[in-house]
Amino acid sequence: MSGKQKSAVSIFNTHTDAEDAVRELQKSGFDMKKLSIAGKDYHSGDSVAGYYNTGDGVKYRGKSGVFWEGVWETVLGSAFFIIPGIGPVVFGGPLVKWIISALEGATLVDGLNAIGTVFYSIGIPNDSILEYETSLKSNKLLLVANGIAEEVEQARKILEATKATDTTVHHG
Amino acid sequence: MKSDSPFYENTIKALKQSELFSGLKEAVIQDMLLMFRRQTWLRKSIVMQPEETVKEFFVIISGRAKVSRINPDTGKEFILFLLGPGDGFDIIPLLNGKEHNVSFVAMDDLEALSAPFTTVHDWIERHPEFNRAFLPYLGKQIRLISNLAFDLALHDTGTRLMKLFLQHTVHDNPYPSLKLINDLSNEKLASMIGSVRVVVNRFLQKLKEEGIIDAHRGSLEIRDLQALVQKIELHVGLSTRNKKNTN
Repeated sequence: MSGKQKSAVSIFNTHTDAEDAVRELQKSGFDMKKLSIAGKDYHSGDSVAGYYNTGDGVKYRGKSGVFWEGVWETVLGSAFFIIPGIGPVVFGGPLVKWIISALEGATLVDGLNAIGTVFYSIGIPNDSILEYETSLKSNKLLLVANGIAEEVEQARKILEATKATDTTVHHG
Repeated sequence: MKSDSPFYENTIKALKQSELFSGLKEAVIQDMLLMFRRQTWLRKSIVMQPEETVKEFFVIISGRAKVSRINPDTGKEFILFLLGPGDGFDIIPLLNGKEHNVSFVAMDDLEALSAPFTTVHDWIERHPEFNRAFLPYLGKQIRLISNLAFDLALHDTGTRLMKLFLQHTVHDNPYPSLKLINDLSNEKLASMIGSVRVVVNRFLQKLKEEGIIDAHRGSLEIRDLQALVQKIELHVGLSTRNKKNTN
């Protein structure tokens, strides 16, 4: 199965747990260009949430601005989308590019939103997609490490040793 | 798998309904889950090739997988087993540590737990009560293969097809229903009995005309189980009334 793309998806209850996992993956030498993160960071009435570019990089204003800006220094790409049925979700890593492709190419899978479509395209079955969307809705964070078998196996071992509540390997 | 995983409850439920794990105490299953990890495959994906059969042991949580071998010259496929929720694979390499020349392909979106062989061996050693279910399960698999060998050698395609239906019939419902094979294409059914689609088509049509089965595109049902059993008895020349004890 080597050579074939896989993904390891982990669910985290808190930003700190997710941040620790990102750090562990980075320390292990995992290619951070292949790591994505997604999580809600918007609580109506709590604070202003915004996303802007000041010319020297993207700034995020929100409850966990420091966390997201730290993550964005590590992973490639960042975005803030309002996903129907989930709400405002902040993304980092290749997931951003995939979601934009799904939206621009109008290639949404029937019955799935943009994030569901992207998850399905990387080999995640519907039942798991529903569970990941529920996790996002309930303010949990997702880390997605994708790559060839060896890379994903390396990521899985590290993620399983973190405070992730679940780590599943999805084969396309 | 951790106990706070959102998939934990469903996994426990599936294991408690399985032939292999239903007799185990929840604490033993929990201990097992700590060592197993969750994996998924999309429908039609290759789960394992022969060279990978010596690495990990899998337990299906949802979906089906076929265990088959393909003749590289003719492309003809033979399906040895159809596995469903609660089934474990691949048992043969788990026991003898040698490659099994078969492929495992997901027939639906497939969800399974897996652990390396060494981990599974250690777990079985720590929980010998697992053998109370594992050995009969193993016996059942061996019997299925032995029956298949006899059927291929001794019976015609029609009889093999009817026996396949009987083998997959769930008897404990008010109405009998087909388990695992109810939505298979005629080609897949043919692959399970060493035949070809056109021959299976012909026999299915005959069984349909006789009111024994109901077959529509992608849906197969047993309408008259008694007639099916009688017809098999007639063809085989042996009583299958004690099927529960002999199969």
